[in-house]
Amino acid sequence: MISSVAQQGAADTARRGSAEIALSVEQASYAYSASARQAPTFTLEATSFHARQREIVAILGPNASGKSTLLRLVAGTLAPLSGRVQLDGFEISRLDTRTRAQRVAMVQQESPLIFPVRAWEYVLQGRHPYGRTLRFETDEDCGIAMNALAQVGAEHLRDRCMDKISGGEKQRVILARALAQQPLLLLLDEPTLHLDIGAQVDLLERLRHLAEENRYMVAVVTHELNLAAEFADRVVLLHRGKCLRVGSAAEVYQQELLEQVFEAPLAVEQTASGRPRVVVRGKNTQ
Amino acid sequence: MLRWLRSIAIGSAGLAAVVGALLYATPLAAQSSAAPLETTDETGRHVAIPQPVRRIVSLAPSITETLYALGAQDRLVGVTDYSDYPPEAKQKPNIGGSINPNLEQLVALKPDLVVATRALNRRETVDALARLGFAVYATDERTVEGVLVSTERLADVIGAHERGAELVAGLRERLAELKRALEGRAPRRVLFVVWHDPLISIGRETFLADALRWAGAKSVINSSQDWPRLSLEEVVRLQPEYLVFADSHAEQGALNFEALRERPGWRNLDAVRGRRIAIISDAVNRPCPRLVDAIEQLARQLHPEAFPQKSENGKQECASCAR
Amino acid sequence: MRPVTLRRVLWTCSALAAVLLVVVVLALKLGAVPISVTDLALSLGRVAIGRSDQLPSEYSVIVFGLRWPRIVLGILVGAALSVAGTGFQALLRNPLADPYVLGVSSGAALGAIISLIASPQFPLVTPLAAFLGAALTIAAVYLLGQREGQLDSGTLLLAGIISASFLSAVIMFLMTTLAGRDLRGMAFWLMGDLSTPLPAGLRWIFLAGLLGAVAAIYTTAADLNLLIAGEREALHLGVDVTRVKLVVYISASVLTGLAVSVSGAIGYVGLLVPHVMRLLFGSDHRLLIPTAALGGAIAVVLADTLARTIVAPTELPVGAMTAMAGAPFFIYLLRRNLP
Repeated sequence: MISSVAQQGAADTARRGSAEIALSVEQASYAYSASARQAPTFTLEATSFHARQREIVAILGPNASGKSTLLRLVAGTLAPLSGRVQLDGFEISRLDTRTRAQRVAMVQQESPLIFPVRAWEYVLQGRHPYGRTLRFETDEDCGIAMNALAQVGAEHLRDRCMDKISGGEKQRVILARALAQQPLLLLLDEPTLHLDIGAQVDLLERLRHLAEENRYMVAVVTHELNLAAEFADRVVLLHRGKCLRVGSAAEVYQQELLEQVFEAPLAVEQTASGRPRVVVRGKNTQ
Repeated sequence: MLRWLRSIAIGSAGLAAVVGALLYATPLAAQSSAAPLETTDETGRHVAIPQPVRRIVSLAPSITETLYALGAQDRLVGVTDYSDYPPEAKQKPNIGGSINPNLEQLVALKPDLVVATRALNRRETVDALARLGFAVYATDERTVEGVLVSTERLADVIGAHERGAELVAGLRERLAELKRALEGRAPRRVLFVVWHDPLISIGRETFLADALRWAGAKSVINSSQDWPRLSLEEVVRLQPEYLVFADSHAEQGALNFEALRERPGWRNLDAVRGRRIAIISDAVNRPCPRLVDAIEQLARQLHPEAFPQKSENGKQECASCAR
Repeated sequence: MRPVTLRRVLWTCSALAAVLLVVVVLALKLGAVPISVTDLALSLGRVAIGRSDQLPSEYSVIVFGLRWPRIVLGILVGAALSVAGTGFQALLRNPLADPYVLGVSSGAALGAIISLIASPQFPLVTPLAAFLGAALTIAAVYLLGQREGQLDSGTLLLAGIISASFLSAVIMFLMTTLAGRDLRGMAFWLMGDLSTPLPAGLRWIFLAGLLGAVAAIYTTAADLNLLIAGEREALHLGVDVTRVKLVVYISASVLTGLAVSVSGAIGYVGLLVPHVMRLLFGSDHRLLIPTAALGGAIAVVLADTLARTIVAPTELPVGAMTAMAGAPFFIYLLRRNLP
């Protein structure tokens, strides 16, 4: 176990700098109540998409479309029933937890905290995958943590308690913790959920900037159609467990398709930047 | 400087650990004297009692009474709570309750012998004292005869053999006389009321049950528990001929009884309606020489026709008490 | 930014150890029989240089035969209960989690009672039986606390509470129906009793078990910091959640079983001491676990000293003391730290 981790670590360092690493999801499916006797009801049917470094993939769909399942498959906490979910050639769900945490970082709505935690403590937790069993954080760890806070523009929040800062600020600190993990792949689960529009835009812009600078692969689960269109390089559209289309926003945002998926009267327009925009079709327009 | 302090801290911690280990393992100084008396107490424990026995601690009120009856009160240096008979016993140094005596105070009294009884004291107390090197003699009185034998043996152990033999012989004679007086008479069916609410009586293996038999009575309750809790309905079904209460003052007993008569359920008892109650001294609760007084008292109340020439009220005679 | 470092852990522990030393000296001095500090120092000195036969006999018996074993037991039991409490609170993400809520003490008590009934002539068996009772309860509660094959905090707490009630009922049943003669001491033991020292054979087993369990929990200290934030988050940060939960649960249960089997039910220690240490030193478990151990030792020795001196010669049960002192103190702390 230890030697393979070391090997993986070495391979890691070699790869990061040079060739392209990819996230590849091929025909991955999952079912929650699979039993040997009867045919399983699929929560997610065979889905495929790829992501390269510096790319942001948006996983879109209404509620209960299988978005969370797909994200957990990519995070490696679920193993696909069929198909493959690989990062840089390694099956993510088969990695041991520590190695996985060094490659994949998750940003999600966090459980309520029972004991007060300061922002710097919180971000420092991101260094956990790199420590031995009984370790104390080194100066290097602290440096990485502070750097992560700086990258999300939250240095000034360093000594504040997590339960005393605003939603947007908290989201940034959570992102900083993910950055402190120095991952290859960043996953975000509905990151804009409780944020106002200003904070939403701020977050996504930072994301794009970070992906570019640190060469992350980013996958974001969201149902914000327009934000996804604006920031994502690729969109995966899910509907009731099926992957309907994968492609750029322009390719995926077709009126009939969207209306079918979201069951609402919608129309697709074009913005100045060339990206599509989805609007609600009023009663009077056709 | 910091490294210095840290070394000191670790050093003193280590030193404390070493001292601690030493202390934990230190055998305690044994009490040395002339050849001790080797014997087995009534719970089967082997005891080595230093001779002569000059300082005694009693861990139960009944033991205290017995020691006074044996004339050993000058050697008694410590008693537990409720050692109230004879009244002088209250002046003796008190070391706490029988169940939880304060071992430190006991140790400070430096006894040669500690006397306990299985009926009242905890095994842990006896073991703890034995571990500390004290001689602990435990009695275990199950019957009236057992009380007498126990008294004799205790007398031997503390070196009061003649007094003990004399005392017990007298008690045995009284019991024999009682037996003669009650010969041929059917025993009365009684309920001995330890407490009325909740209703608690006595089990068949207690010395109390045996005492009842000597008094020409028979407990209607046949339980293997020592202090069974009963339901009133059960008692009504059994309909004892007499109710027996123990109380130090007969008058107070009568007062309580009036209150009791009014209560639901009790009214249904023949014994209550017919006012067939016997009140005896609470010496009956203690396995000591005074028990015989209580037995005689009860016998007189239950079988008055067997003792025509004696007085009838419940005043106790204390032939065996030291004055 | 001040993360916990090894140096800080050692420093804080040394400070607490010094406090413990003072408390121990106090406990050796105080009691129903007054012993002056000079006499005490002289006695300790004589023993240290190997001249124990020169001690005045009653002092040596009182200090070394009666008080010292209690103090040692108090230190071990206090440390065990506090670390167990810390473990359970992290495991269940609930600051009110406590060894007793999980029914472990009731299981241990039941084991002890059954052994007393079955074989009263072998008092050595009692602690072993109590430990077995605790272990079986742990296993049962662990199994009952599963939901969809996973340890679920809420279900676990519930299973623990129900087990505690059930086992207490069984205890009551046994104590009322069976001959009360030798079980009289049970009532005392159930309330917490440090006066019975460990039988010689068990001493080393106890110590080894204690140190082993504390060490096992300490290896998960860093993981526990993350586990508190949430299981999902911990999983994504590289914590082997299942393994950590198992280690902590078993170790904490071993600690509780050992403590209860020798000293009965001393409550509030596993609940309050970790909390106080958290308020004083923060929630980082790498610091919290050792400070909780020392804090627990201090608390129990103090409580025991109070219990045997406040209404001397009567000795109060230690459990009553910890409850009486612990509850109001806890309320005070809560109020002081509300925003």
